[in-house]
Amino acid sequence: MDNEREATRARGAARWWSIVLRDVHFWVPVAVLVGGLLVLSWIS
Amino acid sequence: MACGITAGAWLGAAEAPTKLVTLGLSPVVISLSMVIGVFLARWTLPALIQGTSYVAADLREAPHLIVWAVLAGCLWAVANTLTIFAVRNVGLSIAFPLWNSNSLLGIIWGVLFFQELRGADWRRWVGVLGGALLMFGGATALALASAAQVASADATRGVAAALAAGVLWGTMYIPYRKAYLTGMSPLSFITFFTVGELGMMIILALTYSGGLSPLWAQLSGARHVLFWLLAGGFVWVVGDLFQQYAVKYAGITRGIPLSNTNQLWGLLWGVFVFDELRGSAHSVRMQVVGGSIVMAIGAGIIALSSVSRNEHVHWQKAAAREDERYGVDPEYTEARIAGENPDPTVRRRSWVDWLIVLIATGTIVGFALMARAPEISVRGQVAAVLLTATLALLVLVGGALWRTTRFN
Repeated sequence: MDNEREATRARGAARWWSIVLRDVHFWVPVAVLVGGLLVLSWIS
Repeated sequence: MACGITAGAWLGAAEAPTKLVTLGLSPVVISLSMVIGVFLARWTLPALIQGTSYVAADLREAPHLIVWAVLAGCLWAVANTLTIFAVRNVGLSIAFPLWNSNSLLGIIWGVLFFQELRGADWRRWVGVLGGALLMFGGATALALASAAQVASADATRGVAAALAAGVLWGTMYIPYRKAYLTGMSPLSFITFFTVGELGMMIILALTYSGGLSPLWAQLSGARHVLFWLLAGGFVWVVGDLFQQYAVKYAGITRGIPLSNTNQLWGLLWGVFVFDELRGSAHSVRMQVVGGSIVMAIGAGIIALSSVSRNEHVHWQKAAAREDERYGVDPEYTEARIAGENPDPTVRRRSWVDWLIVLIATGTIVGFALMARAPEISVRGQVAAVLLTATLALLVLVGGALWRTTRFN
């Protein structure tokens, strides 16, 4: 029973991860973060 | 709206410790120390106010928001480090308004991604866009003032750092709005947000300090002032919490410009407590004060363009889209957006909560015992007046927020 519950939870986690990675709202902050790190490396 | 104004006061006060950079501390060490204070506060306040069981219940409903919270924390850490470089190169009173251009970007993301301002009448559009243009004009005046006050190479880097911080913070509101459209409590969001913050900050500190040993040596050398930086981080979290509630209940387009009144508080701290503009030309002073006032007026106009009923309908559509995409229970979202708690049984404090509070308090007291007053010129009476006003806002607005939302 516990194993089944764990398997369901793991499937759910894999599902929302794949939805996050296909969400444009995720990639905009990621791109800005990379840009910020580049500016920081130039300034420092 | 009151949360936004209180956020402004506390976020403004939190920037004062970054002035310690003039004592020769590395910006990365300052940022790391602030983030440690932030981390302690972001775990302590939720544990004290709602209990960790409440946070766990939120995550069971929307586990994907952990990713958004961690991502937002990473953006915050990089932005905060950039602001310290900016303060070092162009000063607090000039850098502050420049990074506050984040509200312009926040408005763009709010309109593009979350249907904010959809269904608003022309007066609200004019209010928000006109206010945004005023803020841009004020920021430009301040950038010109910075070029007149410091060496050109430093000014360019300082202005670039402040503007880049603005872009990072403006984009950080995407994860914020994402979480609050789903109904998550700000207290739950910040608990995971700070994991991203601390993780990213440790990576930056190790990279820019040249490894663990040099970083440790710098931290040990700075142990007498670390308490002030931790305290700055703690104060920042209080301001940020109010900002998060402002975003949740008033949206990005209103909540963020209001929080950005921290620019005025930053100006008060910079000019009257730290005497930053001493010795500068009259024209430069006028540019700084004028630019700041124009930016504040812009923020005020935006804030007065209150959210209409039509806009709320569009917000609900955006929330429904998020629920459908991530499989969140619509009843949970509806209750939480209304400031209600669908399951009051989860709000119980356990020994875990008290342990978190005990460890955080012990850490802060430990650093306080090692602390020495920073060797920097400060006008104590003005600082006391500003602190009193900031605390009064906390008590009044915090009480009102508790009565209306129970901090949901």
